[in-house]
Amino acid sequence: MIQLFHVSKYYDRRPALSDVTLEIEKGEFVLLMGPSGAGKSTLLKLLIGAERPEEGQILIQGRSLSKLRAWEIPVLRRKVGIVLQDFRLLPKKTVFDNVSLPLLVQGASTPDIRRKVAEALRSVGLDHKKDLFPSGLSTGEQQRVCIARAIVNGPIMLLADEPTGNLDPDLTSEIIELFKAINARGTTIIVATHDPNVLAQVNRRVITLDHGKVVSREQVCS
Amino acid sequence: MLVRRLLYLLREAVANVLTNRTTTIVAVATTAFTFACVGVFLLLYVNLKAMAASLEQDIQVMVYVQDDLPDSARGEIEVQLRADRAVRSLSYVSKERALADFQAQFPSESRLLQGLGQNPLPASFVVTLAADSRSAEAMRRWATRTQLIPGVGQVQYNQEWVEALAGIVRYIEVAAIIVGVILSAASVTIIANTIRLALYSRREEIEILGLIGASSTFIRVPYLLEGAALGLCGSALSLVILKAGFELFRHEIHSATRFLGVDTLLTFFSFEMCAVLICVGLFLGCAGSFLSLLHVGEGRA
Repeated sequence: MIQLFHVSKYYDRRPALSDVTLEIEKGEFVLLMGPSGAGKSTLLKLLIGAERPEEGQILIQGRSLSKLRAWEIPVLRRKVGIVLQDFRLLPKKTVFDNVSLPLLVQGASTPDIRRKVAEALRSVGLDHKKDLFPSGLSTGEQQRVCIARAIVNGPIMLLADEPTGNLDPDLTSEIIELFKAINARGTTIIVATHDPNVLAQVNRRVITLDHGKVVSREQVCS
Repeated sequence: MLVRRLLYLLREAVANVLTNRTTTIVAVATTAFTFACVGVFLLLYVNLKAMAASLEQDIQVMVYVQDDLPDSARGEIEVQLRADRAVRSLSYVSKERALADFQAQFPSESRLLQGLGQNPLPASFVVTLAADSRSAEAMRRWATRTQLIPGVGQVQYNQEWVEALAGIVRYIEVAAIIVGVILSAASVTIIANTIRLALYSRREEIEILGLIGASSTFIRVPYLLEGAALGLCGSALSLVILKAGFELFRHEIHSATRFLGVDTLLTFFSFEMCAVLICVGLFLGCAGSFLSLLHVGEGRA
């Protein structure tokens, strides 16, 4: 489903990613581990077309990202759910409005929006808080709203960049369980993290990056 | 589906305006003032042009015939003049009538003519030209042509005055264009900066919209609408300012007895012209937004 062939990315001539080759199958749950500056976020940015690699090829469902035209990038992003460390919720919009945003930009009908947002909020356990504003939620709840927004349009993959960075260990477990539930429904999940708590709870494939290079892979925790 | 998206985009545009209320008010006021400056020149131009057209209507050309010209030759000149498409009407003033008119208009000078023994004033045709032949250039061409008719002594009209008036109107026209272009560019810049501020204050939202797959059009439309609204409100407000200033000026002119009657000649923009000016404001607002949005919402970071 996702293939990277000798991908390199530089910022000011310094390599953020260097000759990365990897493959992620449909329905996999992959952890991208590594210290800050290892290239995890850069890799995720490349996967949503926010950055272009200087070298190499990235294929998603057999389609080369470097051949995508500008108008095709939003179309790609509609198939990808994104969860970020700082949640990035719109403070002046209710939980419902925040979650419905991806459906709105796709032009979904009003009944569809209501149904899908209710489903997504139910799956993260926040359907009773749909009318609240983000400021009225705890950090764990805000992250769950962010996850609901990421899955509301049934993405083929979900990318999470340090999703537990702002959460305590209990909330981290909660979020990881949510990811596992989403993955169980067939969504490919890639979580970039340097949090050892996450590693301990996810018994899946781990790809470790350091200084832009893949230093270990195929490591499956038991 | 489309209605919901349109409503969302409209709501966002209104939210943008409300979020940056002070900036919006300042931008509308500055744009209105800028448009009003252009409007002053336009008003001046419109009024001078109307005045020139009205004065041109009163201009009559004197075609003097040579002395001792037989009646048949005079009749021939009249036939030629009447056949001319540039001539709207004409009347004949005989030597005797010219003398009587002179004596009536300048009684104190009439003794000078009596001293000459014979009537020195020539007979003439007083010609009023058709509307499309009243420009300075058309009058000059017509006078040159008429001068060549056998029996015509001289063709006279207030050439310098007509040309001076045409010149002033031309200068005002050029000044209005130059000032209009410069101040329109200023308006576009003001609106562009206002939109830039709005974009800055909502940069996080724009980033989120980009991440969840919003097209550049979806991201840009609320800001384009905001720019259009700024331009529209600015131009509408400038018309209100201009109208108030115009009425005040007309009232002052009306009160000043030495300008008696001039106030009735003054005109404000027609309804159509006002609509055009508002549309121009709207267009400039869109242009300002467009400039600010050139690189917003593009797929790549």
